[in-house]
Amino acid sequence: MQTERLFDRIESIQFKGITKKYGEGFAVKELDLEIIGGELLILIGPSGSGKTTTLRMINRMIEQDEGSVTINGIDTKDADPVRLRRNIGYVIQNIGLFPHMTIRENIGLVPKIEKQNKKDIEERVKTLLDFVSLPPEMFMNRYPKQLSGGQQQRVGLARAMAMDPPLFLMDEPFGALDPILRKQLQKEFLKIKNEINRTIVFVTHDIEEALVLGDRIAIMDQGELVQVGPPEELIFNPANELVADIVDNQRKFKHMDTLKVKDLMSPFEDKYVLEAKMEACDAVDEMTDRDLETAFVFEGDELLGQVEIVDLMKCRDRGEKLSELAKPIKTFQPMDSVAFALSEMKNSGEYLAIVMNSKHPVGILVSDEVLLKLI
Amino acid sequence: MLSIQVIADVWDRHLITMRTIEHLHMFSIALILSIIIGVSVGVFIYMKPKTANPVLNFLNIVETIPDLALIVLLLPILKLGAGPTIAACVLYSILPIARNTYTGLKSVDEQYTYVAQAIGLSPREALMKVRIPMSLPLIAGGIRIALVFCMGVVTLGGLVAAGGLGTVLQNGIQLYQKDAILVAGLWTGLLAVLLDGFAGMIEKKLHERYGTW
Repeated sequence: MQTERLFDRIESIQFKGITKKYGEGFAVKELDLEIIGGELLILIGPSGSGKTTTLRMINRMIEQDEGSVTINGIDTKDADPVRLRRNIGYVIQNIGLFPHMTIRENIGLVPKIEKQNKKDIEERVKTLLDFVSLPPEMFMNRYPKQLSGGQQQRVGLARAMAMDPPLFLMDEPFGALDPILRKQLQKEFLKIKNEINRTIVFVTHDIEEALVLGDRIAIMDQGELVQVGPPEELIFNPANELVADIVDNQRKFKHMDTLKVKDLMSPFEDKYVLEAKMEACDAVDEMTDRDLETAFVFEGDELLGQVEIVDLMKCRDRGEKLSELAKPIKTFQPMDSVAFALSEMKNSGEYLAIVMNSKHPVGILVSDEVLLKLI
Repeated sequence: MLSIQVIADVWDRHLITMRTIEHLHMFSIALILSIIIGVSVGVFIYMKPKTANPVLNFLNIVETIPDLALIVLLLPILKLGAGPTIAACVLYSILPIARNTYTGLKSVDEQYTYVAQAIGLSPREALMKVRIPMSLPLIAGGIRIALVFCMGVVTLGGLVAAGGLGTVLQNGIQLYQKDAILVAGLWTGLLAVLLDGFAGMIEKKLHERYGTW
């Protein structure tokens, strides 16, 4: 019953003369693109640019009208679509998990259909949950609605890895999350990506995400490929106005020296605040409800530090208070220079800092890998 | 009025224990057949959408035939006994079950089928593992309606020698025994209420399990 694998690793994926029509218009027009094995290629562009259509033609969820897509020289048209898709991990934003299945069933779905041994599936599910920093015993038997958005997205990633595919397709996986959470998951995803070392095609509309994650970025507009290259190339040698606009919409790279912390920070919200006397277990539930990966611990008006849900889940049952667990966090003033703040954060290996206006928190500064590279 | 003595007496004289077993026997066969046929018809018209309207319209017409008339119409084909009664139950129950199955399958968000296929499920697996389970609360609702229909129709079966509690009622009317009519009537009603309550509980459980997206 087990389907044979179509490929164990990706040498290259080639789009040749791909055209897809929708009624009168073109979703994708005469696209030529090569994806190199092992890279993370970002597809980005305005809505209607054809980026999602392009992604979906790789696993034949959309069939092209003209041209060919080949993986390792095999035309996807010659491959059985079900077999092809079981060899490709797929992550989609938001609604991806099946609500009537537990986390264990969601992740183990395809292995179960492939009639893998029950014990092996169980082991695999546990390993994968550990891998995405969700303690298996806590999460295996929950339903998706009992998880926060960030946790669901991690499970989605774990499910995509269930069959250990050499290729991943990611369709705006972090699109539905709030900006801070998105940055945190991106950072974690980057770590995972380096560990698993697979070929990934990633659709997004968020240029920051593209610049942080992408080995190469393909910019599409109205069904055509405008430019493809590594982030630095797009920043310094944009092919046209559109690319320049997309890549540096806030013009922050051009004016980096004058950029202030207040220009880059996200606004501070009350939901990030936890009381110092709260216990770790309660904080885990509270943070799940509020969909937070990180929270800031305050005693009255005084900032004690930050806690991450990943750490809190480890020290369950010990009844520790957040005041004992809070890790120190850097604070900056709104008028500090970004270059200064980011290099400070880089030196201490932190990726979050709080922006304080005299005594009050006003913003959260997330380290920006792309800016850091350029400093 | 009805003393325990009277109830026990009627119960013994009219073999109500045996009649109840007959009654529930016919009822379960009819319900199981209805579920199998109804769900299959629902899935079929979902997969072949062009057939949905004609099939549902036809079932609607069947539904408008009065139950007694339907049983009598079936008599020449299926002879006296439990046959026509069970067949009538099934004919009535296909519509609510098929209609709810069809509506349930249609109301599952397309996105779930999309994801199921994108991660490598065949269309058939996507239907079995995702679409049908997610439709279960609505399917259960249809079965519950069918259950109430069937309780009524099975009781009518007494008129055509099908056995069951209808026979007791029938005898009571023929012999003008008020006690028998009252006991059998109340008991049949109570059974229907209990079964419906039980079905309601299952439906609620399915809602909690499958219907909360």
